[in-house]
Order: sequence, then C-alpha cells, then structure tokens
Amino acid sequence: MKRFGKLVIFLVMVAMLSTACATATPAAPAESAGPFRVAVVTPSAINDLAFSQSIYDAMVKIQGEMGEANFQFVLSDGMFVVDDAAAAIRDYASQGYNLVIAHGSQYGAALQEIAPDFPNVSFAWGTAGDTFGIPNVFAYEAFSQEGGYVNGVLAAALNESGTIGVVGPVEVGDAKLYVDGFVAGVKATNPDITVNVNYIGSFGDVALASEAAQTHIGAGADVMTGSAQMVVGAVGVAKEKGVLWFGTQADQTSLAPEIVVACQIYDWAVVVRDIISLIQEGTLGGKAYAVSLQNEGLKMIYNPGFNLPADVKALGDAATKGIIDGTVTIGVGGK
Amino acid sequence: MLADLFTGSVLIGLLASGIRLATPYLYAAIGETFGQRSGVLNLGVDGIMLMGAFSAFYVVFKTGDLVGGVLLAMLVGLLMGLAMAFISVTLNAEQGISGIGVYLFGLGMSDLLFQKLINNVQTVSGFPVAPIPFLSEIPVIGQIFFTHNVLVYGAYLLVPIAWFVLNKTTLGLKIKAVGENPEAADTLGVSVAKIRYLTVSMGGLLSGVAGASLSIALLNVFQFNLTNGLGFIAIALVYFGGWRPTWVLMGSLIFSFVNALQIWVQVVGIPIPSDIAVMTPYILTIVVLVISAQRVRPPSALSKTYERLE
Amino acid sequence: MTDKQILPSGHPRIDSLEMRGIVKRFPGVLANDHVNFDVRAGEVHALLGENGAGKSTLMKQLYGLYHPDEGQIIFDGEPRVIHSPKDAIQLGIGMIHQHFMLVDSLTVAENVALGLPSTRGMMTDIDRVTKRICELAEVYGLDVEPDAYIWQLSVGQQQKVEIIKALYRGAALLILDEPTAVLTPQEVDDFFVTLTQMAKDGHALIFISHKLHEVMAFTHRVTVLRDGKNVGTVNTVDTNKNLLAEMMVGRPLNFIRNYKTIECGKPRLKVENLSALSDRGVPALKNVSFEVCAGEVLGLAGVSGNGQPELAQVIAGLRPSTSGKIMIDDETLTGSTPMQVIEKGVAYIPEKRNVDGLIKEFSVSENLILRDLDREFYSKNAFLNMNNIAKRSADLVKTFNVKTPSIDTPIKSLSGGNAQKVILAREISRQPRVLIAAQPTRGVDIGATEYIHERIIEQRETGTATLLISEDLDEIFALSDRIAVIFHGEIMGVVDRKDATLQSIGLMMAGEQPPETQAAE
Repeated sequence: MKRFGKLVIFLVMVAMLSTACATATPAAPAESAGPFRVAVVTPSAINDLAFSQSIYDAMVKIQGEMGEANFQFVLSDGMFVVDDAAAAIRDYASQGYNLVIAHGSQYGAALQEIAPDFPNVSFAWGTAGDTFGIPNVFAYEAFSQEGGYVNGVLAAALNESGTIGVVGPVEVGDAKLYVDGFVAGVKATNPDITVNVNYIGSFGDVALASEAAQTHIGAGADVMTGSAQMVVGAVGVAKEKGVLWFGTQADQTSLAPEIVVACQIYDWAVVVRDIISLIQEGTLGGKAYAVSLQNEGLKMIYNPGFNLPADVKALGDAATKGIIDGTVTIGVGGK
Repeated sequence: MLADLFTGSVLIGLLASGIRLATPYLYAAIGETFGQRSGVLNLGVDGIMLMGAFSAFYVVFKTGDLVGGVLLAMLVGLLMGLAMAFISVTLNAEQGISGIGVYLFGLGMSDLLFQKLINNVQTVSGFPVAPIPFLSEIPVIGQIFFTHNVLVYGAYLLVPIAWFVLNKTTLGLKIKAVGENPEAADTLGVSVAKIRYLTVSMGGLLSGVAGASLSIALLNVFQFNLTNGLGFIAIALVYFGGWRPTWVLMGSLIFSFVNALQIWVQVVGIPIPSDIAVMTPYILTIVVLVISAQRVRPPSALSKTYERLE
Repeated sequence: MTDKQILPSGHPRIDSLEMRGIVKRFPGVLANDHVNFDVRAGEVHALLGENGAGKSTLMKQLYGLYHPDEGQIIFDGEPRVIHSPKDAIQLGIGMIHQHFMLVDSLTVAENVALGLPSTRGMMTDIDRVTKRICELAEVYGLDVEPDAYIWQLSVGQQQKVEIIKALYRGAALLILDEPTAVLTPQEVDDFFVTLTQMAKDGHALIFISHKLHEVMAFTHRVTVLRDGKNVGTVNTVDTNKNLLAEMMVGRPLNFIRNYKTIECGKPRLKVENLSALSDRGVPALKNVSFEVCAGEVLGLAGVSGNGQPELAQVIAGLRPSTSGKIMIDDETLTGSTPMQVIEKGVAYIPEKRNVDGLIKEFSVSENLILRDLDREFYSKNAFLNMNNIAKRSADLVKTFNVKTPSIDTPIKSLSGGNAQKVILAREISRQPRVLIAAQPTRGVDIGATEYIHERIIEQRETGTATLLISEDLDEIFALSDRIAVIFHGEIMGVVDRKDATLQSIGLMMAGEQPPETQAAE
C-alpha cells in the first residue's frame, strides 16, 4: 500500500509537470489533409521578449499569412536541458511533421545525430551557419551585428557620461556578434566613449544580469544594452535607475517604456517562408540562411513613447541605410 | 588597471553588490540547513523558490501589495515544504527522488501559472531601498551594509536566529538528535516525524521568501526558470558550509563577493576571458569551504528515511 | 498506602513489579504464552532464553512498545496499563538498549537533556542538567564527564551515560538488554560493581543475557523462557551453568571439548606487517603479523572497533592494504581480487552477515550457490542448471541442519542462526584451506552456536587453518589453540590458550602489553 502511495504521488507529479512544462502550443486541429506542419523546440520561454519569442512571433506571422488550414505549428519551449530537447526533436520528427525547427545553437550535436534517421523530414537549426552537409538540414543565423551597430551609433549619440555598459550572456554566436557590432557602432561615432562589456556566463541567470547592470551603472554608464533572455534583469535595473536601454532579438519596449530607445528585432518569417517553399518543391535542406537588414529579416524598431531627437534618429537611419547598401563597414563577422 | 579596481567607491559598490547577491542564497540555504540537520535532504528548493517567486510577483503585479506578496510566497513555500515532508516522512519515499519531483513540479507549475495569469515578461516596483536610520550614514559601512531593501536585511537577521535555534534551544537539540540518531530520539519520546515536518516546512517557507526576494526585491521581474538553478547552489552551500548557519553565511558571502568581483573585473576591462571569470566564484567557494570545513561530518541520518523497528 | 521509599537519585522506588499471565500474539506466532515474571526492589533478576524465546517481546511490553493481548502488569500491587515508552518512563522504568541510543555528535549533557522539558522554556538549560548529572554521577559512582562528546567516549563510558540517562528520568527499575556484549572483561567487572550497588540501593534490575557465567556471577534470580513459555524461575544460588543451559535449550549440551593437539608445521596462512586504512581513511591496521597453521584455530580477541572487520576484509580481498604481505602456503594473496582469494581456497564468514554475507531477498538456494555460480555444475553457457542447483541446495540444507520451510524461502524469513548456517554451508562445503570466521555466532541462539562451533572444530580436524575473530571471550577460549589480541589495529600479543587467562587477555584487550608471557613470535 505504501509503495502504491509513492507511485501515485510520483505519477501525479509527472503528469502535472508534463502539462505545465512542455507548453505545447497546439494550433487548430488538422481538418483537411495537407496543411504544412511545423514543430519548434526552444530553450527558453516563448514570452521571453528575446530569442525564443522571436521564432514564436515568426510562426504566428506565417500562420496569419497562410491561414490556419494550410499552416499549423506546435512549439515546445523551456527546453534548456539539451537531452530533453533532443527527445522532443526526435518525437516531432517521428510524428510526421514537415519541418522541425531546433531553435538553439546548443541543439546542433543532437540534430546531427537525429536528422539522418529521418531522411523524409526536414530540419532547421539556428542560429548557426552550418548544415553539417546533411541533405535534410537547413541552417539559419542572424547578422545581429548590423542592428548592434545601429544601436551603438544611437547609444553613442545619446551618451553623456562617457561610459556605456553591455550585459552579455556567453561569449559566443549571435550574442557575441551583436555585442561586437554594438561596440563598433559606438566607436565609429565617438571613439572616446568607454564601452564596458561583461559576459555573465549564462543565458538564464537573471539575478546575475541584474547585478551586472548595477555594476555598469556604478561604473558610470548612462546607456546600456544586452542580449539574450536574462537581460530582463538588467532592464529592470535600468528602469529603476533611469538609464537608457537598447534591445535586441525582440521588442522590449513593453518592459520599460520609459527608457527603451530602440530595438533590433528578428523576423525569422523571411527565412521560414523560403524554407517552406523549398520543401514544397522537394528540397529538404542543404541551405544556410542569414537574416539581415537588407533582406528585412532584421528590423530596427523605435519606441514611439521615447522622445528621440530627430537628429539622432537621422544618424540611426543613415547607419541602417549604409549597412544595407554596403557603404558602412562594421568590421565584425564579415560585414 | 588594478588600481581602478580598488578605488574606494568601486570597492564599496562591489561589497554592497555582494551583500545583495547573497540574499536569496541565504534564505534558501538556511532553510535547507534546518531540514538537513534533521536528516531530510530536500532537493526541491529551486522549485519552491520558483513558486514563491511567482506567487509574490503575481500579488505585487495585481495589487502592488509587497507585504502580501511575501506572505503568499511564504504560504506557498510552506505548503510545498509540507508536501515534501509528506512524501519523504509519511510515505517514506526516497528523498532525492521526491526532491527532484518537487523541483520539477515547481519549475513547471510556476511557468504554467505565469503563462495563464500574466503571459509576458513584465516588471513591477518591488521593495525600495530602505536605508537604516543613523547606521546608513556611517561612511563606507553604511553604504555597504545598511542601504538595502528589507528582504536583504531579513536574510542576514536570519543567520543569528538560526544559530540560536540550533544551538541554544530544546528544539535545536531535538533537530540535531533526529538528524544524527532518530532511533535514539524516538526512544526518548521525541517525535521524529513531527520534527522533520517542522524543519522541512520551515525550509519550504524560507525558500518561498528566497524566491520572493528575487521577484519583488532584487529583480522585480518574473520569467520562466527565473532562479536558474540558484536553489541547487544553495544546497551545495549547505554542504560546503558544514551544516552550520555561520559557515553557510560565509560560503554565501564568498560566492556572492567573488561573483560581484568577477563582474567588476570584466566591466573595468581587465583582460581575463569571460569563461574563466564566471567560473571563479564556484571554484573559489568550493576551495575555501572544502579546506576550512574539511573535518565536518554530515548528519549521520541525512537522507535516510526512518521507520520505527518493531 | 505507605509512602514509598526514596532512591539515592531522589525518585521513589518500585517495591515490586509483576507481569502476570502475559499473552502476546503476532500473526502466526504466539510470542508470549501466559508468561509470569516478577522483580523486586534490590534484586537483579536475569531473563534468560534463546533468540526468539520471547524475552524481548516481554520486555517491550513492559516498556510500552507493545501491548499485551492478555494479562496484567502490576506495580506495587496496582494494575497499570502502559501505552508508550513515555508512560513507562513516568512509572519509573528505564531501558538500556543493546545498541546504545546516544547521539554521537552531542555532548553527554545534551543527550541526557534530549526530549525533556527545559526549566527555561524554549531555551536549553544544559548548565542545570550538567549539575544534576554530576550529582547523580557522584551518588552512583559513575564517572562521566557531562561536557564530553559521545564520540570521544569508550563503549564502557557510553554505557554509563545510558545509565545516567535512565536515572535522570527517574528510573527505579532498569531493563538491561545484553549490556555486556560490547564491554571488555574489565569494563564488565566495573559494570557489575555499579549494578550490584544500584540493587543494594533499592533499584530493581532486569538483566537480559545469554552469557551464563555472568548470570551466575551476579544475579539473584533467573527466569528462563523457551518458545514463549516460562520454563521456570530459580534462585541463582540453587543452580549452575549446565542446568541453566539445559533449561534454555531443552536438552543437555556438550560444553567441554577435548581435541587432539596438533604439531604446527609450515604455517598455512601468514600475515606479515599488514597495514590498512579504515573507511574514514585513518589507519585501522598497523603492522599486523601472525601465522595460522593447518589444523589450527587462531582466536583473535578484541573489543569491537579495533580493526577486526578491516583485517578480515583485507584478507578476503575486499579492502586494499597499504603495506605488508599475506601468504597462503607459498602463494601471495596480497592484492588479489575477492574472486582470486576464493579460488585460492579462502572461505569467509563475514561479520555483517545480512550485508556482506547474504542477499536477504534471495532464496536459500540462491544464497547457497552465489559463490560458485560459474562452476559448470551450476551453469553452462550463462544458463543456470536449475536441477543441479536444487539438488545441491537440498543436500546442504539437510547436512547443515538449516531450518527452513523450503530452499526457495527468502533468507530474510530465516532466524539469525539458520541464516548463519546457510553461510557456513556455502563456505565450508568448499573444503577451504583457510577459514576466516568473523563473529560467527553473534546474534545466534545457543543451539545454533553449539552447532556452528562443532563445525568449526570439524574443519580444524580436517586441516583447515582457521582465523576466528570474535568479541565473545567464551567463544575464543572454547575454540582456539592460540589467542591473539588486537587493540587499536595492533596485535598486542599471541598466547597459547593453555597459558591464557581471562585476566591476561582482558588486559591486552584494554591496550596493556602482556606481562611476562611475551608474545611468542
């Protein structure tokens, strides 16, 4: 009886967990045969105002364009444990989805193992520039240094203290490109400004991001930026202390309308649209994409509630234009 | 550049930062210390913290009532502690597994509630900095120790209280006896179950406050997995602190100070790879505590269930 | 009713306690069948019986852990119902458990105070408890240091703490459950002095034991139980060891053995300067050397915790040595795996039979063949030969007189004695060259003990070299040709049994160098 009791408790917990954790966001049930079905696995929550939210927004957008009858998607978020994510990817692949998106560079090794087992399913991996040469894998990345550069130009123009702070997660990939682009933008505008950069070593440690922001402000920063989902901690501090903030990956204005100046947002729909048409034509992979300001996969969004001086905005627009037509060289990541 | 690092104002900021960072660790680790001294290893701390963090955040988000937020976090923490006690003491389930269950439950449940009730990342105005009159005006010391919010003070107040309870009260004696030799305690009329229920539910309550200290005092936001495993570090601090509140305090402070220091080092641009910098708090804390707490033995009955032999 | 007399501890004494017609049933077992027992102030009353005779069931009812199905418990003429240990303590009953109920990491005073209300409410009053302990220690002649931690104390001192603990709670009647099992002979003497004085002072003492010479030495009356029933109550002066043993077992026993002396040729088992660490990483064995000849029993005496289990484990290949050498005939055993040790003909009866010797959930037959699974007789190409296993098991169960419902019964449903016989059967049936027997009769009833002893002697006759590790000096003296004493991981000396006395061995067990009888080697 006792053992039975333990078992029941355990099962109840597992059951509650599976409903709670894998917040599979089901779309409309399949009616007619033939809707295009996509499954997405993301490391953080889809409402993180950052990386995971960017792919979710793209899914919603494409569904709006194609109609629910023709496009359906499911999404498992919060898969910060790679093993769990790998299991989810494999499950989705075996359930006959047309496309399985592994939205996290940390999922690469898992995908490399799984994709060859399902040659009829198409996979996409981001952010990454490499398809491993596997015929049914797409890769996508972002030239996030572009928006970083624009943000940097704007930040330098608004800076008064001579110090700008950057809160980074881990010194790799997308985040590093953004940070380096940002620093380049600042320096191109005003080489005398000190840009303090620190990486907190985690994509999820909100507390440390918050403390890093405190430290930057203590060191004199009056403008800050940062990348990845843990920056909400830094935005909170910036809001409290009235320090300006530049965002990336998603529109972070709602978090602190008073101090968010501009955000670079990712619109993966550009990539996903092309992948869908390729798959429908019978090509299951092999192509690597990058979103950029030029192909409008990256966009600069200005907070309408923030009173940005017109001359400063003009600087930002000029930088954007220059990057698109190639007259501005960032010097980061081949741009 | 090293000179930059140790100018007065920088040093003060750094120390104040360390004091602040240690807050959630202290609540969680002191709570866990009680549980472990009575022989119950609760690995669910992080999950309880998440539930506490969400509960507090929700109250403040909806009503702005900070005290109400802390009280709800305490209540939720207490209930989860009771659940852990029920599983591990009454049902005699294996403690490690039960704790992981509680953790996963808290992780998933807090996210589910967040998505259903709030659904996007928002900030709230949390506990304001409340300088302590007079004390905060002392130069240097005042800024480091007495210019924080109420929950930070509470965490440090907890340490002497915990020390007193463990070392100077009959309850403390019973807790230690139950954790070392439950059979002996039982023969002397000390109810092993009662004591363990008490310590584990108090540990839950304090973990709830630890969560609240993040969501409505230090960070003032909530998002999925806000704690990011902080509760597990708290458990490690209990081990390395040799199950003594004062050493747990020491460990929390070392960990937090070094963390604050590594941020500073990066901010002022001392060229150390960030990967190395972020590792130092973990390495240093472990080294210091392992060396100093070397001779301490865990409570003999730790993580062992107790059933009276017939 | 007259006022009760007061004991030196300041508590009222219990003039008489009577348990009348006690019946206690467990599912399928009648543990106590109309048992009568009584004890008076000023008396040491021994309760004697084999394992499973119903002694501890009876005492647990007196201490409130079980409740009798029938019968009465009468204090000073008044029937009482004892619901819990708390009630028992209230009535003035104290119990010293065989395994001490002390918290190692707390001090003596803290252990005494544990569970008692404090005079300062929520805060402890250790200073007042300390004072009271000193008073009690003074009155009863028990030298204990209230501030010492339990882990710092010797076993004998810990027992004094247990007594103080009971006295502090007002015990007028003390139940002592095999209290001497863990003491050196000198400590036993001390202990008896204390108990005798306590009895004189008006305490009532119940002494549970199976050591007949102790029962003879200092008790006033003896009640013997067998199979849950009274066999009888006798005055100690009117009986003797043999009569008591007969009452316990229900048949006469052979106590005295005469066996042929052997000429020791080349040593079969040779241990040279062996050192090893304990689980905690401190030296447990320091330069241990001894030899055992073929056909010889070397008894290793010592108080528990002086390196005995470590020595057995090193020889069995279960624990690495840090230096030194073990030889069996001319082969080196040092550094061998347990399997190699087995193959070289070493049989091992481990101290913790339920942990190291048997798999409790496995059946009798599975436990019997565990060691020899790989032999072709039992398995071929990874498949077990069930027929052979069953046949062999049934043979062994019969030969070794294992009382079990069937060979498929799980070990955990067997009594301690029968479980030990299963190990003995498995180990001895291999005709070992060397037998390491660690505490072979601990927790085993007198009948099974006799049987196991006979088997060990039989092995000796067939030329096996036996190392007998025991904390029971009776056993050591009964079986050994020579006796070695271990103390703090060192061999204090090796003496011929005919030259050894309880006194000389006891001194060595307490760490004293042997007097003029120097170690032969």
